[in-house]
Amino acid sequence: MARKVIDEEFLGQIETLQMLVKNNVAGMFGGNHKSKTYGSSCEFADYREYAPGDDITKIDWNAYARFENLYTKLFLDERQMHTRIYIDASRSMGFGKGKKDEQSLRLAAAFAYLSVCEMDKVSIYAVRDDKLECVISGMLGKEAYISSIGKLNDVEFYGDSKLSEAIVPSTVGYGDGMSIIISDFLTDNDFSAAINHLADKKRHVLCAQVLSKEELNPKARGKMHFFDSENGSKYYRKNISREIISAYKQAVDYVVERIKTVCASRGVDYMLVGAEDSIGDLFFNKLVSEGVLK
Amino acid sequence: MSFLQPLGFLALLAIPVLIIIYIIKSKYTEQVIPSTYLWELSERFLKRKNPLKAITGILSLILQILAVVFIALAIAHPVFVVKGGANDYCFVLDSSASMNVVDGNKTRFDSAKEEIKRVISSSATGSTYTLICAGDTTDVVFNGLDDKKSAINQINQLSSSYSTGGLDNALMRAQKYFESNSSMQFYLVTDKTIENVQNVNYVLVNGGKVNYGLTDTSYIYNMSDGESTTTTVTGKVWSYSGDATLTVEVFIDGASIPANSARVQVGGNSATDFSIEISSADFSSITVSVKEEDDLPEDNTVILYDKTEGDSYEVLIISKTPYLIKAALEAANMSCTVLAPEKYSKETCQGYSLYVFDSDDDKPFTPDALPADGAVWFINPTGSVEKSGFSTRGRSEAGGETTLSTSSSTRVRNLLKGTSSDDTTLASYVKCGQTGLFYNLMYCNGDPVIFAGSNGHGNREVVFAFDWNLSDFPLSFNGRALVNNLINYTFPSLADETLVVSGETISLNVLPGCKSLKVVSPSGEEEALDTSGTISEYMLKEVGEYTVTADVGGIKKTAKVFAQFPEKERILNVTETNFVLTGEPGTERRDGRYEDILYIFIILAVLIMADWAVYCYEQYQLR
Repeated sequence: MARKVIDEEFLGQIETLQMLVKNNVAGMFGGNHKSKTYGSSCEFADYREYAPGDDITKIDWNAYARFENLYTKLFLDERQMHTRIYIDASRSMGFGKGKKDEQSLRLAAAFAYLSVCEMDKVSIYAVRDDKLECVISGMLGKEAYISSIGKLNDVEFYGDSKLSEAIVPSTVGYGDGMSIIISDFLTDNDFSAAINHLADKKRHVLCAQVLSKEELNPKARGKMHFFDSENGSKYYRKNISREIISAYKQAVDYVVERIKTVCASRGVDYMLVGAEDSIGDLFFNKLVSEGVLK
Repeated sequence: MSFLQPLGFLALLAIPVLIIIYIIKSKYTEQVIPSTYLWELSERFLKRKNPLKAITGILSLILQILAVVFIALAIAHPVFVVKGGANDYCFVLDSSASMNVVDGNKTRFDSAKEEIKRVISSSATGSTYTLICAGDTTDVVFNGLDDKKSAINQINQLSSSYSTGGLDNALMRAQKYFESNSSMQFYLVTDKTIENVQNVNYVLVNGGKVNYGLTDTSYIYNMSDGESTTTTVTGKVWSYSGDATLTVEVFIDGASIPANSARVQVGGNSATDFSIEISSADFSSITVSVKEEDDLPEDNTVILYDKTEGDSYEVLIISKTPYLIKAALEAANMSCTVLAPEKYSKETCQGYSLYVFDSDDDKPFTPDALPADGAVWFINPTGSVEKSGFSTRGRSEAGGETTLSTSSSTRVRNLLKGTSSDDTTLASYVKCGQTGLFYNLMYCNGDPVIFAGSNGHGNREVVFAFDWNLSDFPLSFNGRALVNNLINYTFPSLADETLVVSGETISLNVLPGCKSLKVVSPSGEEEALDTSGTISEYMLKEVGEYTVTADVGGIKKTAKVFAQFPEKERILNVTETNFVLTGEPGTERRDGRYEDILYIFIILAVLIMADWAVYCYEQYQLR
């Protein structure tokens, strides 16, 4: 069943935002993001003496008149960024009424749109088990976005997900853009290796943890027999009392703090996204206030 | 064990409902969640693991069921059969005069009280006590009293009566209590031997073996040369136990040394007449006593009073022919003054105890006003006088026979005492219409011709509606007896009888002008009586000498009355037929603290229900 991941009105609103890129990035293609090397953008960077073979159009004739020496103007190079978005497509993301799956797809679509608007190339992957399934590859330009983004509707959420095993072996460019991991991170599997790997590649990494309200503040009381949606052999059978609820909330805090710590240690951005949160509020308020968007 | 409110067990229906709710709620709810990772992780953060938590659910159910059971029991009000448990006690205490028989150093009544106090003291706390006292009246001293100390204090204050006690009324009251509470424990404490007792704990207190007594005691003056010189005291002396030789002594005016005595042989349970002559006829009182000591001294002494002792009376006779009336009054020691009718006026003729208006047929005389300071006799009245209480309606020939009243009134019978059925001859009589209250003593042709009562001044008034000179009445047997009775009526003493039986009610005369009337009992207890009527009644509750004092126009008049011990109560061992409470007795006992326990039950139930509510709030988020 096709999902309506995001509506056009919302896309029009977020078009005005720009992705905040903390560092200038080196990319293979020109783009709207400043590079560490000199290039052909309109933004002046420096002068150097003219050498034969240089583009004579870049000679600063005013400087020549003043110093009687030829100087060539240097401009910052603008490179195209490659935004890679990893969506945790395990069963835990798609179970229940939490809409974590829809929220994840909305986030991915929104980040993709922002990147497209910045003339960046966008690839979207679904992480299932220890593999990456490419949903959209090298999407560039709004037309491509419009024609391709619908593929998100076909993403199925089932099975387990092992982020590190899936992301670490994948090929990613060195310092060529942003990597966004969208997951609930509710797993025993190690996900820090994936974050380290992306950070090592000098990529700007953002971890978006999507949790539903029921997960943050469960309403279950009394005698409950919980089955794990990802692993049928795992269950939790308890008389849910006030003490257990209190311990559960401590566990939630622990998990969130653990991810935050990992992210902070590698200069990675982290954001906790409620499955029920409005995408509008999320982008216009929360991401801006946390410095992810400007 | 039984229950006062068995319907209270309907509350137990809540138990199956509770169990069903518990079963429904206690099933594990299966639910698939995104991940059990957080729940499993939460185990690390559980501060402590209380093993009791594992049975919290079933513990709550048990407590809730207990709460329901407690509430149901509390409503049902169980009555337990507890050995030595609290109960309701009803004591019937015989307080008749015979209970005054002394056994050792205490009376039967004291023994009975101690027996009741012993039962009360040994009863379980929480018991209730009811005491019916059967004496001169049947009184419920206390009913349903649950305070042992108070009950014993009230019993200590009880005293026996000196009257003939009947257990019949007490039995009726006890039967009512038995019908309302068949588990009530009944105790009958008496000195009577009861042949048939049912549903009652019968306690016999008949200590005391010896009793002597006096009955039918009286005296007569012995006349010699027309004067009283000696007195003979007669009576019967009883031995209510075995044969005895008894000494009867006579004391004059309370002297410490007997004036005379007699030794009398008396058989067991029988009486022997005695007669003792004393050399004096001038006394106020004679005390007759049995010298030998016994176990009931109250019936060993009788005091007789001289009724002739009294005031002298001045009489004014207003008559042309006063001979017959004057002779009759002077025979009764009256001091008579004769006055011609034409000389009489109310203003000048005052200060007499009795005014006699005697009118002739030849010269009729009617006083213009009634004297207010003394009694009045009218003989052959010829006209009506204001405040006299009657009016004349002409003269009538006496064609028929005269008849004496047949009224059953005590007063009329007293006034006709000593008369016979002999006829009285009248020539004619005056027809009288009565507007006041009179006792009609003699009729002629159906019209009252002799009647007595009180006039408008409150003084006694006697009317003879015929001419004594034209009748054989003054000289007839009935005439003499009737005039003597009417003189006594006209000048009443405070007490008509001076020797009575305790437990009886005597009528005391309220003399004209009497402002107060007071009786002092043998124990010194004073009681002021009502003086609004002509007679005031008083119940004699003690044996002994009563003193009656009246304030008549500032002059104190005194009379003595002796109440003797009732004869029936002198018998040491009386056997009565039965004392049967009909019905099936219950066996319930109470724990006696039910109300206290009830409060504890309620508090406990409320606490447990509160715990249940908190439990539900936490477990099921019931809001």
